[in-house]
Amino acid sequence: MLSILVETMGLLCSKKQHLSEADAEENAQVDNSALAAEIERRIAQETKAEKHIQKLLLLGAGESGKSTIFKQIKLLFQTGFDEAELKSYIPVIHANVYQTIKILHDGSKEFAQNDENSSKYVLSAENKDIGEKLSEIGGRLDHPRLTKELAQDIETLWKDAAIQETYARGNELQVPDCAHYFMENLQRLSDVNYVPTKEDVLYARVRTTGVVEIQFSPVGGNKKSGEVYRLFDVGGQRNERRKWIHLFEGVTAVIFCAAISEYDQMLFEDENKNRMMETKELFDWVLKQQCFEKTSFMLFLNKFDIFEKKVLKVPLNVCEWFKDYQPVSTGKQEIEHAYEFVKKKFEELYFQSTAPDRVDRVFKIYRTTALDQKLVKKTFKLVDETLRRRNLFEAGLL
Amino acid sequence: MASCALQGGCPSDYIALAVSAIAMIVLLARSTLPFVVHKIPCTKGSGFWLLIIQIFASFDLLFSMVMGINILKIKKRHWWQSCYIWAVWFEGPFGFALLLSCRIVQAFQLYHIFAKRRLPPIRSYILLPLILLPWIAGAAFIHVKKPLNPRCHLRGQWIIPVVCLHALYIVAMVFMTWSVQHIKFRFHEFKDLLQGVIVSAASIGLWVVAYIMNEIHENTEWLQVASRFLLLVTASILVLAFFSLSISQPLLSQMSLRRREPREIGTMSMALGIPDSGLLLPRGPTPEIDPNEPLDKLLLNKRFRQSFMAFADSCLAGESVHFYEEVHELGKIPMDDTVRRVYMARHIIENYIVAGAAMEVNISHRTRQEILGTPDLAHPDLFNNAISELMQLMKTNLGKDYWSSTFFMKFKEESRSQTDSNELMERVIGWDISPRLSSVHGADDPFGQEPPSKGHRRQCDSHNSDSW
Repeated sequence: MLSILVETMGLLCSKKQHLSEADAEENAQVDNSALAAEIERRIAQETKAEKHIQKLLLLGAGESGKSTIFKQIKLLFQTGFDEAELKSYIPVIHANVYQTIKILHDGSKEFAQNDENSSKYVLSAENKDIGEKLSEIGGRLDHPRLTKELAQDIETLWKDAAIQETYARGNELQVPDCAHYFMENLQRLSDVNYVPTKEDVLYARVRTTGVVEIQFSPVGGNKKSGEVYRLFDVGGQRNERRKWIHLFEGVTAVIFCAAISEYDQMLFEDENKNRMMETKELFDWVLKQQCFEKTSFMLFLNKFDIFEKKVLKVPLNVCEWFKDYQPVSTGKQEIEHAYEFVKKKFEELYFQSTAPDRVDRVFKIYRTTALDQKLVKKTFKLVDETLRRRNLFEAGLL
Repeated sequence: MASCALQGGCPSDYIALAVSAIAMIVLLARSTLPFVVHKIPCTKGSGFWLLIIQIFASFDLLFSMVMGINILKIKKRHWWQSCYIWAVWFEGPFGFALLLSCRIVQAFQLYHIFAKRRLPPIRSYILLPLILLPWIAGAAFIHVKKPLNPRCHLRGQWIIPVVCLHALYIVAMVFMTWSVQHIKFRFHEFKDLLQGVIVSAASIGLWVVAYIMNEIHENTEWLQVASRFLLLVTASILVLAFFSLSISQPLLSQMSLRRREPREIGTMSMALGIPDSGLLLPRGPTPEIDPNEPLDKLLLNKRFRQSFMAFADSCLAGESVHFYEEVHELGKIPMDDTVRRVYMARHIIENYIVAGAAMEVNISHRTRQEILGTPDLAHPDLFNNAISELMQLMKTNLGKDYWSSTFFMKFKEESRSQTDSNELMERVIGWDISPRLSSVHGADDPFGQEPPSKGHRRQCDSHNSDSW
């Protein structure tokens, strides 16, 4: 009925607003003619420049590493973070610490109630009060600054056997990946004159909502010689995905981030769904989009550092998609074998979801660890090269 | 005239056909016009689907009557013109019973939401087939036994169980209506329920009387023609009387289709009569906004909130601020006014919390399940966890960028002097840029930037989700 009509309308690509037209109309009302002329000049400049701007989208499920890649690009190709910006991350890092310890504490209480071996999740008597206090702080809207005493309390609680046992089962809770890193560096974080390092900022977890963009050029700041890229970062949770459709028009390349270490974890927004299965379905959905007929796809198999450690302890076949996995050896060989298996699964998925008329679009897979600056720089150089080559091909020069 | 009583095609038959066609058109108009005119997001919840099923059932009922009681002069040659398909299946389970079952499900939901103050425990897509089961069983039984005569009438002893089945459903409706009679509804829900009960009971009564008369005075032509006419006309009236927008879409039922209303009711808080909702009253000089204050204190200031909301909408992150605003409005309703609190809470849950909602917010699974499984919809702390999660989200994502955006500049200018604000607004109007997003592409942008005085207008969104 009406809903079907509107749905089909919604499925079509969004039309680009004609910037110059709309603004020119509004500017007709402005009495100051010099101002109007200046605005028109700027709009004309932007519209001309926009034709040479390549649009990149960072897509992926929640917590797959999109915003970390975004931060890395900012660090690599823009002016980087100055001290004020670094300091602005202090409340975020402290919030991460409080939230982590709260999740672990509440998790240990839950396990103590529901599990048969409940005794190993019960906190020692002297840490119970600390635990309750920290849990209460973590639940507040405004977190206090991390002082030395609070850091000491958190460290005591972190070292408690029950909390460590809970952390070992962290995949059943929503423990952020930065947990271990921040817990190990508590003394430094609680220093009065603490200024976050670049690494701290990269580890800091901020759930993205809405859309953010930056414009950069991989070859210095000179816009004339190098390509100009406009990179968009989005939220990955299910409710954020309805906003993606507004960005789908005219995309040069999609950088799809898939966290391969998350094969035993559940979604933040739906604890009954496995994260790897969600990534699989999401990737399938993105590949089938009308707007991406000619778009290049760069698949970043992210969080390899966590994958390395996890795959030796937790077998891949806990995830339904990987249930036909057979481990062959141990150590480094096993890690490589497991990685190749996952990569092959994604390749198979790509070719399954791609219609025959789209097979000539570019598809590359990269192994990444978004926290590693050198690796991201190298990876992005490869991406840049691939896109440039494709541009020349499209222009008929190759 | 002699043969038209048996074969159909009498003038009165055509009049009845015209009446039912008009009824169907009016029904379709009443159901689709509000959506088209106001462009409200059709939250594809169970309310929406029940409405569609009702319209489908109404159409079935009328069409099956036309086919089944020989209104039109059609020679019965094809198997699909068989009496059993139309008079038994389409008129019964897929027509009348479906209408009544939809209404029973709606009443059931109202009872749970308002009397017990919880969300209904059984999803409607399970409940509806369950309620329909007796009819389907009965129809299958009749189909097997085949007691209908060539004129599609039931023989004597079969009529009693059929009437009992009809009466059972009417009794169920009466019972459900009685269970909510003590609640002070604000949008004519009770009146609509009562109307449905009375009209359907009257229709059943009329049909029984017509049947008995036909059985007593068999082969009286004028009686047959008259009872055919009566059947179709009462079915048309029934279908129209059953349609109720206020039960499933209360906000839409309040919005007038005439565009000349001076104060358009655009939001649920306005419809509920919450003081000062949605209005930006020109007050005295507003206090200076201090960027160092925490965001939750700043958001209590209405003008700041509107400015921040516009900024968030431009970054496609607006739903969190809208949610905050609606929960703030909910907080204005006094504690003992549970009916209004429940209306507002239901509105917020349907629009912001349910998976796949039009403006679904970014909250954790646990928080969502707590809200959906709450034992008390009128509880003051229902949305506290969600608010704190979203406040964290707003602070970390939008907190910094807002201060350097043109929205804040506009806000400062406005609060500085009221008289100069119009001039400055015009000058700055072309510069709605923010450091986060240079432009939003898309005609179907749900976060369209509207001036705060209008009701927020959105368009239907498309997304894959479970709609129940």
